Amino acid sequence: MTEQAAEARERRILGTELLWAFGVGVLIAAVLGVIVFTALTADINPPSNVERIDPKTLHLSGEFAEQNLGTTVGADGGVTVRVIATQFMFVPRCIAVPYGRRVTLRFATPDVIHGLLITGTNVNTMVVPGFVAQVYSEFTRAEDLLMPCHEYCGLGHSDMWATVQVLPESAFKPGQDGRVSCAQR
Amino acid sequence: MWSSRGGKPMISANQTSASDVPPQVPDQVDEAALAEVMRVVPLGAGVLAGTAVALLVLGYLAIYLLVFLPRGPVG
Repeated sequence: MTEQAAEARERRILGTELLWAFGVGVLIAAVLGVIVFTALTADINPPSNVERIDPKTLHLSGEFAEQNLGTTVGADGGVTVRVIATQFMFVPRCIAVPYGRRVTLRFATPDVIHGLLITGTNVNTMVVPGFVAQVYSEFTRAEDLLMPCHEYCGLGHSDMWATVQVLPESAFKPGQDGRVSCAQR
Repeated sequence: MWSSRGGKPMISANQTSASDVPPQVPDQVDEAALAEVMRVVPLGAGVLAGTAVALLVLGYLAIYLLVFLPRGPVG
């Protein structure tokens, strides 16, 4: 093969590589563009609640004291769920939420970093000591959903899971204190 | 080559190893055929990689549009 032919081949290969790099650049820009576009137009963003809490005392008083955990319906009708993620369980282990209504979920941990997701929803967050993790969701499947810990937190990590019981409006009846527990089945 | 116990050699001096014979394979590559192969191979690699990436992007878009967005915002 002559030297000119070899050079021409090298140039062609370089051109192919540059074309590929350009295509990949376009794809990366498109993916980032989709994320930015939905963030700006539909207000869909990663959970970014920055709210501090003392992990040493969160169980003694305040909203994460034992009597305040679980599902509460406020005076304005807003539904708030408070859960402690601790080695190796969620407290409470069953959470009742209404079907088709916006629910605010708040999590805190007294020990190590945990994480959680609720199957079939976009709820997916880390729970970091010293911070309150807050997400909200509207549950559109009236069934029991699994909520496992998805951040390795120790030897009992695989046993750390809870159930989210999505109740139809007819079964979602808060008591006089505004609290709702899982239905017994 | 001699045995570890000394004495008689394990092979006689007139035996040869195959590794001693230089390869006698003639170069039968046709330069024109080589040039043709080198012209189409990058194109084939590009088509293969492009198809794979296109499938990946289509999967991403399908999950994003059909699963993620309908589930609604959380943050």
